[in-house]
Amino acid sequence: MSEKIARPRGLEAFIGAAESMPEAGAEIAVPANRGFLNLRLDSRQQQAVKAAEDVLVQDLPLAANTFTSGKRRVYWLGPDEWLLETGAEEAGALCGELEAALAGHHAAINDISGGQAALRLTGPEARAILSRGCTLDLHPREFAPGQCARTGLARATVLLACIDEAPTYTLIVGRSFADYLCRWLAH
Amino acid sequence: MLLIECPWCGPRAETEFSHGGEAGITRPANPDALSDAEWADYLFYRSNPRGAHRELWNHARGCRRWFVVERDTVTNRIAGSFRLDEALPVPASAAGKQAEQGD
Amino acid sequence: MAAGQANRLPEGGRIDRSRPLRFSFNGKSYAGYAGDTLASALLANGVSLVGRSFKLRRPRGIVGGGAEEPNAVMQLGEGAAARPNLLATQVELEPGLAARGTRGWPSTRFDIGAALDGFGRILGAGFYYKTFKYPRAWWKLYEHVIRRAAGFGKAPDSPDPDRYEHRNAHCDVLVAGGGPAGLMAALMAARAGARVILADDDVEFGGSLLVGGDAIDGIPAMDWVARVVAELRQMPDCRLLSRGTVFGYHDHNFLTIAQRCVRESDIAAQDQARRPVAERLWRVRAKRVVLAQGAFERPLVFCNNDRPGVMLATAVSGYIRRHAVLPGRRAVVFTNNDSAYRTAIDLAGAGAEVAAIVDSRPGGAGAIEQRVKELGIPVLPGHVVSDVSGRRRVRGAGIARWTGEPWSTVEITLRIDCDLVAVSGGFSPAVHLHSQAGGKLEWSESQLCFLPAEARQSHDSAGAGNGRQSTGDCLADGLRAGTAATVELGLSRPEIEIPATEEVPAAPIEALWRVPAVKDADRCPKQFIDFQNDATVADIRLAVREGYRNVEHVKRYTALGFGTDQGKLGNINGMAILADALGKPIPEVGTTTFRPAYTPVRFGTVAGESVGELYDPVRKTALHEWHEAAGAPMEAVGQWHRPWYFPRGGEDLHAAVARECLAVRNSVGIMDASTLGKIDVRGPDAVNFLERVYTHNVGRMKPGRCAYGILLGEDGMVMDDGVMARLAEDRFYLTTTTGGAAHVLDWLEKWLQTEWPELEVYLTSLTEQFSTLAVAGPNSRKLLEKLGCDIPLDRESFPFMHVRTATLAGIPVSLFRVGFSGELAFEINIGSQFALDLWRKLMDAGREFDITPYGTETMHVLRAEKGFVIVGHDTDGSVTPVDLGMNWLLSREKDFLGKRSLARPDCLREDRKQLVGLLSRDGCTVIPEGAQLIERTGQATPVPMCGHVTSSYPSASLGHPIALALVTGGRGRKGETLFAASPGREPTAVEIVSPAFYDPGGERQHV
Repeated sequence: MSEKIARPRGLEAFIGAAESMPEAGAEIAVPANRGFLNLRLDSRQQQAVKAAEDVLVQDLPLAANTFTSGKRRVYWLGPDEWLLETGAEEAGALCGELEAALAGHHAAINDISGGQAALRLTGPEARAILSRGCTLDLHPREFAPGQCARTGLARATVLLACIDEAPTYTLIVGRSFADYLCRWLAH
Repeated sequence: MLLIECPWCGPRAETEFSHGGEAGITRPANPDALSDAEWADYLFYRSNPRGAHRELWNHARGCRRWFVVERDTVTNRIAGSFRLDEALPVPASAAGKQAEQGD
Repeated sequence: MAAGQANRLPEGGRIDRSRPLRFSFNGKSYAGYAGDTLASALLANGVSLVGRSFKLRRPRGIVGGGAEEPNAVMQLGEGAAARPNLLATQVELEPGLAARGTRGWPSTRFDIGAALDGFGRILGAGFYYKTFKYPRAWWKLYEHVIRRAAGFGKAPDSPDPDRYEHRNAHCDVLVAGGGPAGLMAALMAARAGARVILADDDVEFGGSLLVGGDAIDGIPAMDWVARVVAELRQMPDCRLLSRGTVFGYHDHNFLTIAQRCVRESDIAAQDQARRPVAERLWRVRAKRVVLAQGAFERPLVFCNNDRPGVMLATAVSGYIRRHAVLPGRRAVVFTNNDSAYRTAIDLAGAGAEVAAIVDSRPGGAGAIEQRVKELGIPVLPGHVVSDVSGRRRVRGAGIARWTGEPWSTVEITLRIDCDLVAVSGGFSPAVHLHSQAGGKLEWSESQLCFLPAEARQSHDSAGAGNGRQSTGDCLADGLRAGTAATVELGLSRPEIEIPATEEVPAAPIEALWRVPAVKDADRCPKQFIDFQNDATVADIRLAVREGYRNVEHVKRYTALGFGTDQGKLGNINGMAILADALGKPIPEVGTTTFRPAYTPVRFGTVAGESVGELYDPVRKTALHEWHEAAGAPMEAVGQWHRPWYFPRGGEDLHAAVARECLAVRNSVGIMDASTLGKIDVRGPDAVNFLERVYTHNVGRMKPGRCAYGILLGEDGMVMDDGVMARLAEDRFYLTTTTGGAAHVLDWLEKWLQTEWPELEVYLTSLTEQFSTLAVAGPNSRKLLEKLGCDIPLDRESFPFMHVRTATLAGIPVSLFRVGFSGELAFEINIGSQFALDLWRKLMDAGREFDITPYGTETMHVLRAEKGFVIVGHDTDGSVTPVDLGMNWLLSREKDFLGKRSLARPDCLREDRKQLVGLLSRDGCTVIPEGAQLIERTGQATPVPMCGHVTSSYPSASLGHPIALALVTGGRGRKGETLFAASPGREPTAVEIVSPAFYDPGGERQHV
């Protein structure tokens, strides 16, 4: 097994576009127009969970470190916290709908579309690239499609989600860290 | 680097956590009723045991939950992690444990 | 090409004779082959002198074959690429490799310090401590010379050009060591389906089989190794790391491996901009660990046992069998066990003359003795080598009868000419990792070594590192350990048979810790225990005579086991001789503590990628690119990079800040305040919660109202501050300092989760979500109106310290009528994705007011003019709100965190340091921040200090410098004169004044 890993493609801005990267075993893309909502509610309040799910037409993942995919992605962040990933143009309206549906329940919903950056890392070397700075066990048996985790990547905190067996990962990071993280990935 | 069991997220590397000091220190209900010495005892004095120690940890780079860890301060062995809303078992006795030479 | 390699055997070895190469040592060019180590190539060229000893400057040669080598400490490369502290036995030979010995100043062959050897008797243990202690002032002089003569090489003189990488890995079984035991353990675990990492510090797997090893399963040992390695390589969940040294065993089965990745020549050939990874740090979390790192052969302790040409027997075998190098022509083999007999056979087979095997055991060896006799090698049982002659190279061995009395004197009965003495004093298992992991050790009286005993973490030892001696026993023990690991992991165990080997019954080792000499132990020629640190038998005895009893103290006094050695070579001999001097059994004396790193690790490897721009994250606001394009120098504030000032033309900091300040005071300025921490607080108990943590009466705030709030630690000290706003009955918006954002959120969550879980409150960080654009100055309202705002902004509709949601230029925002400058001001909170757009619109619309972007420096000056503190700048964790004159913020009607502490006697002292303003008496001197304040000049030292300056700036608005300070009892001392003292400057006379320098009534912000 060769331990050598190449930089992912897609970070030319941080590397210098002139440099070719024929050996890249992974690619990075920055999905455009993503919207994000942060949802807080007590998952033991079944009515509130139901109200939210009715708006989302999708289950809130109640198992730790998992996400559900439907029209949107809903990531588990904590026992009373979720991150909703949706289209940017839809985020504001969805936020309002959830606010309305959850009125009367102890809940908090915040549109944080401006504060997050999403990256998509895919390719056979994606796992090795992440393992440079992530202490999670990313073995396919341990971190399979459908699983997610807020964790450390290099010196930033990210939400890491395994999307498919390529493997493809989604990385969601606070926007102020995005530049650092791309530089680190390109290093 | 310790491997700490978050009651929600499972075992994670110590770098994801922050330490919150001794667990079970309850804030006095009426601080004004306390003498200076009693207040100082709450504020400054900790048991700092050699052996089993219950301490607060926060999964700061994870689910942001605070929880209790019982850790042996000599061996760093972790006896268990507990949510704050669950009853804690009787602590593993520090007595009778082989005292090992710390350095 | 091979010319000059006088000691190279014509055939054999695992070197690649088709790839000859040249290298240099101490400036002289030599030939070698790919597959050589630097050490084997030097020996091939007959270089017997590789350095000078640490203290006594004695000539030294290569002793060992691996990590235990004490003398051949090398420096590779120069300048930025300099790499000190490398062992020649572990450096792979490369074309063009340039090595220098690090021991010996100014050169290895001519060494000023060598004269010291003549004074050996006075250079005993603790010599430096005793001699260079007085006079104290001279130590600097001594130190310079001693350090120069002593070092392990030179550090690079500029940043390391190499690239390093960290890799986190997880496995079921980590096997440290790829010899027979490690390979069997890995094979067992891998076949059982475990995720396996097998690491070995050598270039090739095989361990002891590379050096010796007869047939395994009927095929040559290294063929068997190749077969196993090939099988392991095929398995997807098995990772083989050659050139990877497991150097640390930390808590919770976390191990660190330093892996050398590319050869020196590869690095040189690569593009400088992106070099290949030179070394990789593996950070491994293993469920189970098998330690199979083998054992170190011990030297024997006789007079002048450090002479070049005295070598460990297994190292000699290794050089012959692996590198096809014959280190000597006429050898004496000196041993107290059977193992060295194999070396005698290897020497004879390679064409050397073995003059004698000197075996201290009266009964001689086991079955192997017959074999050497068949080769015509004389064996002298019951004899010892008491002394050797020769200085730069051993020339002969003095043989004496062994009486079993180590401290007696003996007579030399026979002298044998030789140029090589191969010694074996038995084997010490490499228990370093086992001990690092907290495992216990147990003395084996039959094997005369410490064996790994009870483990503290989930680990096991196997093979020679577990006291096994024959290859067959090592294979069996590795299989046992691998099986135990699979059982522990709950895996089904495959059937694997122990590979067949030929076993030769051996006779047991017999103790021989110190070889008697012609004179008693304290007067005979030096008997070295630790070659690297020049610790001798006499040194240990001296330490005991001087009162040292504890092994850790003796270690530090004699330097035994310091340096790269870390107890590999001399440790057990030293413990045994110490035990004897103390009259105690060896296990009672014990060993010193083993700590990481097992072998030297490069700093670059530890740092990994966290260097240069990746040293720490640089957090950038949504407006960062605009600031950069505007030419603003950046200031690091925590991890954030914030614009410091925005120079126009050739302005310097001072000129730019003066202009920016006046712009805010006279027209309008704009600042990126996005780095402030922001927290959404929501829930029916939001008021109740915030009443407990803030000092003011939160409940009295009506929705739409802002307040300045401070957070105290439970000790009553100011921890953080910021504006907080009530957005609705059950909803608040808190801001924190830039540096305190993450901590405050964690701290609030801690109280909420651990103390008050009954409160229904959710906290959500919005720091990243919202950018904050601070628009400040008398024209700020006009600017916003011009831009188009959907709510009235006049004083009555939107008074100071209120918040409104609005749209500005069509973009939804929150507007806060707050500021940090004392001027009419608005803080615009806007989703970060829209921030740059709005900023540009503000800049465009503001042109008619000459809108001026300003940075952190101007922000500091403006707030200091108002006497506003910055937590962490004017406070340091020992300052209460009372000290800051903020009594008005402390509610009398409720409890809050830290309140009780404010009533502690120490917090009530009249003479606490209090916040004041300072003006220099001359009206023009800017006092240095950090200056100490004293009552008067001309006092004798130590001068009592009565405060210090926390902030100090020139003020363009006021026309003179201003400063904030914490002064003992300061508030009651207005008008008094103090002196600000700082190094290298004349004390400045200053007057204590109110900290509110500018618009003390606060009228300007209320317009």
